[in-house]
Amino acid sequence: MRLSDLQIWTITPEIIVAIMACAILMIDVAMPERARKTIGFGLTVSTLLLAAIAVVVGQDAGYTIGLYGLVVQDRVSDIAKLGICLITAVALVYGRSYTEERNLLRGEFLALALFGTVGMMVMVSANHLITLYIGLELFSLCLYALIALHRDSAEATEAAMKYFVLGALASGILLYAMSLLYGLTGTLELAGIRQSVSGFSADDLPLAVALILVIVGLLFKLGAVPFHMWVPDVYAGSPTSVTAYLASAPKIAAFVIILRLLAISLEPLLEVWQDMLIAVALLSIGFGNLVAIAQRNMKRMLAYSTISHMGFFLLGILSGDSVGYSAAMLYAVIHAVVSLGVFGCILHFSGEGFEADQLDDYRGLSKTDPWLAFLMLLFMLSLAGVPPTVGFYAKLSVFQAVIGAGLLWVAVPAALFVVVGAFYYLRVVKLMYFDEPVAKTPVRSSAAPLESRALLTVNGLLIIGIMPWIGVIAEACRNAILLVGS
Amino acid sequence: MSFLQFAFYFFAMILIGAAARVVTVRNPVKAALYLVLAFFSAACIWITLEAEFLAIVLVLVYVGAVMVLFLFVVMMLDIDVARLREGFARYLPVGAVVAAVMVIELGVVLTSGRFDLESMPRPSGHGQDYSNTREVGLLLYTDYVYAFELAAVLLLVAIVAAIVLTLRRRPTTLYQSPARQVRVTKAERLRVVQMPSESRNKENQGDPS
Amino acid sequence: MIPLSHYLVLGAILFSIGVVGIFLNRKNLVVLLMAIELLLLAANMNFIAFSHYLGDLAGQVFVFFILTVAAAESAIGLAILIVVFRSRRTINVQDLDRLQG
Repeated sequence: MRLSDLQIWTITPEIIVAIMACAILMIDVAMPERARKTIGFGLTVSTLLLAAIAVVVGQDAGYTIGLYGLVVQDRVSDIAKLGICLITAVALVYGRSYTEERNLLRGEFLALALFGTVGMMVMVSANHLITLYIGLELFSLCLYALIALHRDSAEATEAAMKYFVLGALASGILLYAMSLLYGLTGTLELAGIRQSVSGFSADDLPLAVALILVIVGLLFKLGAVPFHMWVPDVYAGSPTSVTAYLASAPKIAAFVIILRLLAISLEPLLEVWQDMLIAVALLSIGFGNLVAIAQRNMKRMLAYSTISHMGFFLLGILSGDSVGYSAAMLYAVIHAVVSLGVFGCILHFSGEGFEADQLDDYRGLSKTDPWLAFLMLLFMLSLAGVPPTVGFYAKLSVFQAVIGAGLLWVAVPAALFVVVGAFYYLRVVKLMYFDEPVAKTPVRSSAAPLESRALLTVNGLLIIGIMPWIGVIAEACRNAILLVGS
Repeated sequence: MSFLQFAFYFFAMILIGAAARVVTVRNPVKAALYLVLAFFSAACIWITLEAEFLAIVLVLVYVGAVMVLFLFVVMMLDIDVARLREGFARYLPVGAVVAAVMVIELGVVLTSGRFDLESMPRPSGHGQDYSNTREVGLLLYTDYVYAFELAAVLLLVAIVAAIVLTLRRRPTTLYQSPARQVRVTKAERLRVVQMPSESRNKENQGDPS
Repeated sequence: MIPLSHYLVLGAILFSIGVVGIFLNRKNLVVLLMAIELLLLAANMNFIAFSHYLGDLAGQVFVFFILTVAAAESAIGLAILIVVFRSRRTINVQDLDRLQG
């Protein structure tokens, strides 16, 4: 075996980010206090951009198995890695001033964010249960630590503890399920599992138990009803910059592991897990949308909204064909970009000692900061799925997939809940445009971060501007999925 | 009953008993000690499965390091045990029933014939010259080298996270700053003073000879 | 000889004790972390038993990585526990009620 047979270039982006994360830890110690933040932050963002370039340069139209079968590189992993790097970089730029004001912008924060990105990239290119598990844990551990990093905040530490306990429980369940899968199929490689599972009859009892535990573990991590308890607490309790990080890119990673572990490896059992996912998806859409109406806290409301979006995303998966998977992929990418924008707005609006996390804080925003209010309007419309935003197209493609799979009765209640959901998104718009500003709302005083404002504008205009090209993106997703299935 | 069977059932009983005590015992220190017992019994069972390397690792890493960490934290924190136990007795019967049902369900599934001796016979075992450590090591550093490197990154994350979360700089404590010590320049520590040279006569005055 | 199913039932018992332990000790975070260790031990037991009966060392390698991850996980879990304790002077889960709605 020669070194070139390892296909080591399949993991170039991971190597770049991991090495730079170590370098940033070292540089942080050696640098004088003042230069630290600028240099460390600049290095972090440029590392992520460099990794994104590496993904583009090393892209692979085929299907390459590397590192003795531990890693796979295909269109899905390329698109996911590119999305993860770019979205994480933007999330860090948005969160910069917020993080700095709360004295969290240290080398450790940046290094943990980068290591978490490595974890996500490992997850999306996993071809083996071991890499999948280690990637998942690497990402989760970084996230627990990032949330708890705000040590003085009782909310943040509490959120970290809750997230940790439920996340560890979910990993335990997933691991137990993996052990049963291993025993039944005799292999840890995903392709081998698929091959072996197709030889089983659908009512095989041990396999059914393994399948149920896999689904429970994945849904826990995804935060779908009835395993959603941690989502609102974690979204609301974390520092907003960390919330922006965890609400965006990880959704893409979650899509890929569900695709690889459930939709592809366990596809022979489609009829068993389809029914379970229908129940979970409808419950998530209904529960998320209804409870979100009652929220007064912006981050908490967005958390419940995320739960409902995860329901839509599962609708795509449970359609069980390449149309459904590509719809789910499109949904995950668009949801990540839109969430990024929403939290970007919150971060931009917040200031020192002002969290901007109450709905009332947004009263009359159109008078104090018309441009920010307009961008927020775009994001809210996209979340609600109003044309001509991309959110509309994402929902449309999911509905097409569901109806195409002959599940019209699932699509109807889901569509009704979209209307319910529109209520609370539009309430934010109403608060911003038709209410009088509250006196206490401070206008952002500290040096207004220009780069975050510019990026936010790009991000916001993309939401409608990309509409004509959405077909191209959808096509890319579809091609990616088709290759994986074969 | 062969010795192997005796050993398995003996350690399995201890393992189950210890695990049950871990989640029901009143005092967290005792719970940690029962967990040590559980891990130790599990290591013994793993030896019956010819996983000697992992058995030793379990004892060294878990009993030796992780559980000591647990005990250290438990004793460092001043925990009000009585309050933590409120309502525990009320839920215990329910918990026991739930556990029993789960065990019966999983037991029915797992003993359903797929895993009995006919369909999966016990392998005869390796000869005397077999080294489990060698075999696992060969796999770890060849086929799984990527996972091995990732595990290293994971441990680094754990180190960084644990330190950054718990390290507190109290203003009253005096501490060294290695970074500043290393960075110190000659100009900061050494002052060259220009002095007029002493005359020879004065020096001779102090000379006893 | 000992059939594989006996090892698996042992794993299932540990798994059940772990899951029930998490719900019983909802208030006591330290014991909760220990219950999570039991869950992982159950998975490890399964992996090693399967690995032996399948004659495939990959299961043992997986256990090696689970042990590594679990050690890292408990280190971070205990660190978060200490941070929570410092800010609240309690590890009672019921006192963690700042986030509700």
